[in-house]
Amino acid sequence: MSVSNGSVSKAGDWRSYQRVLLPPVKDLHKLEVYEQHGGYASLRKALTDPAWTPQAVTEEVKKSGLKGRGGAGFPTGLKWTFMPPVNPDVPRFLCCNGDESEPGTFKDRQLMEYNPHLVFEGMILASYAMSVKTSYLYVRGEYADWISHMERELEKLYAKGYVGKNIMGTGFSTDLVIHKGAGAYICGEESSLMESLEGKRAYPRSKPPFPAQRGIWGYPTTINNVETLACVPLILEKGGDWYAKIGAEKHPGPVLYGISGHVNRPGVYEYPTGMLISDLIYEVCGGIRGGKKLKALVPGGSSTPVLRADMIDGVTMDADGLRAAGSMMGTAGMLVLDEDTDMVSFLRRITHFYHHESCGQCTPCREGTGWLENIVTRIDEGEGNLRDLDLLLDLCSQMEGRTVCALADAAAWPVRYTVERFRSEFEARCRPSLVSVPETAALPA
Amino acid sequence: MADFIKHPVVELPERDPEPSVPADRLFFSEEEKARIATYVSRYPTADGAIMRALWLAQEKFGWLPPEVIRLTADTVGIPYSQAYGVATFYSQYYKRKMGTHVLDVCTCFSCQVCGGYDMLHHLEKKLGIRKGETTPDGRFTIQEVECLGACGSAPMMQVTNGPYVMNLTEEKLDTLVDALQEGRMPPFASVTLPQDQDEMGGNRRSDAPSQEIYQAPPVSQTIR
Ligand SMILES: Cc1cc2nc3c(=O)[nH]c(=O)nc-3n(C[C@H](O)[C@H](O)[C@H](O)COP(=O)(O)O)c2cc1C
Ligand code: SF4
Ligand code: FES
Repeated sequence: MSVSNGSVSKAGDWRSYQRVLLPPVKDLHKLEVYEQHGGYASLRKALTDPAWTPQAVTEEVKKSGLKGRGGAGFPTGLKWTFMPPVNPDVPRFLCCNGDESEPGTFKDRQLMEYNPHLVFEGMILASYAMSVKTSYLYVRGEYADWISHMERELEKLYAKGYVGKNIMGTGFSTDLVIHKGAGAYICGEESSLMESLEGKRAYPRSKPPFPAQRGIWGYPTTINNVETLACVPLILEKGGDWYAKIGAEKHPGPVLYGISGHVNRPGVYEYPTGMLISDLIYEVCGGIRGGKKLKALVPGGSSTPVLRADMIDGVTMDADGLRAAGSMMGTAGMLVLDEDTDMVSFLRRITHFYHHESCGQCTPCREGTGWLENIVTRIDEGEGNLRDLDLLLDLCSQMEGRTVCALADAAAWPVRYTVERFRSEFEARCRPSLVSVPETAALPA
Repeated sequence: MADFIKHPVVELPERDPEPSVPADRLFFSEEEKARIATYVSRYPTADGAIMRALWLAQEKFGWLPPEVIRLTADTVGIPYSQAYGVATFYSQYYKRKMGTHVLDVCTCFSCQVCGGYDMLHHLEKKLGIRKGETTPDGRFTIQEVECLGACGSAPMMQVTNGPYVMNLTEEKLDTLVDALQEGRMPPFASVTLPQDQDEMGGNRRSDAPSQEIYQAPPVSQTIR
């Protein structure tokens, strides 16, 4: 494998990039410090300047080209316009998705720890843009320490009059509530998150109706990721045009890359979108641990298709770049695997995760995730047959697109692509089968 | 079938066992009731407050036997069946009596390939129990958990739904167990971002009692 030096990064001069989501300011997580460094100026501007109507804020976000950072990459400004026209009798809600349970993803936690006020300000601005009177920040229960830190800061914010009734004396009122989860990956899925907020078992809902039509308690609701909303104050401060120029053209903005696994310097890094994967591994993270060779890479959380080392040449971290390479951007939580990694055991653990986290509503998912785990485990234990590989792929086709939520797809993709892209390694672990079974064609979704 | 084949069985606790919290201790204080009332006030209907109220109940009683779930449901003002459903859905609510300290070792994804199982097996050997079990003296329970959102500091673990302990090594685990034996909880640890290390010469938080830096993870010896 060659390290691509000739390929073009879309991140421009990333070595001199100045961080904006996590700017280098000591104790930025405290309200006093955040304000000293221009915090809540965007909010004041939006609330006091008559030019900044709610529509104008939404327009600016649209202009920025901001795409959701929660996994699906949906344009944020567009999502906001799906909210129905304001009716004073019908409450509306905003949820900020801080569930962050996708294996390999740990950037929202660092953002909530180091710059919580940027998230709060983004939530209040989004509430203003969509005329929302209550917004919920749903944080996974495991982040108990970070929740208590944020609640302390939120209290200061209420005391200061920056959230609650009559914010900054402008007559605009909105409440912000932190909701503590209790350990369930599925709560990250937006409709399941709403069920959880309503105090129920977190079973995802069938869509349509979409949250903007019928969300929490049946009222219009918008759900955005923590990092997505944190971009909003920056967009208002520096302008949508400024934002649109950062990184890859069609998927712009700063991104928190959470890089883990076999690299010398793992961690959360803020850089523009469109970074070359090779730059991230070899330049930013100081290469592979122990001078080993790269074997595989999962670019955006456990559900995104794995890439072999020979597939990352010249590939950039943005929606288009990764799609062309045969994967997805997901949450930009990148896992780097070195040449010694056993892909069968690795896949076994992933299938265990999805089996454990399936909510059990849909048969293809509840049973399918269980059988994926069983079959991969059987292969891993050396008791698999060659035809098990086709059985796995067939099973994936029976799960994809056939369920209430996308967890079944998220469980099937890693299996499909790991088996396809590392087939010889799986074959080597299997016993030859006596009867050959033809490969089953994928059924239309 | 080979014994590693797992059946998708969900074990639900018994609905009406002998109460394990004596009747004279089964109540919320005025202060706790006030806190639950605050939680209720944050949602359009009382239902939304049940998760937070169950957290409070678990902190008070240690785990959630049916009588505690019923008490919480009554205090919040929602049906017992709904609260029972919630308590049994989420993995952080304890449905059985746990050890004083619950050691949740992450073995998922990034942690798996960076020694999560080495750490789990070290703990199992050290405490003489297997994952899911509690030591006979009731002090420690070991659990294998899914990704806790600190993959860059793998391998890592969480202690009793509280502090994270990151960049684990066997020595670090030994020290941790000793400290817990003496009743000392690990402090909150703030992880220094690599870019902060470069640009600011260290951690940006001056109020975090303990600080960790991201470091090259260990090589995993076992991965299952
Ligand atoms: C199974 C599943 C798990 C998800 N988990 C998360 C999560 O942990 N955090 C998150 O922000 N989005 C998660 N999502 C995506 C959300 O459903 C939703 O698309 C996202 O929060 C929208 O925010 P965005 O538009 O800002 O990206 C998940 C989706 C699925 C299908
Ligand atoms: S796909 Fe799986 S997780 Fe999603 S609703 Fe169906 S059973 Fe639940
Ligand atoms: S995989 Fe262990 S914390 Fe994410």
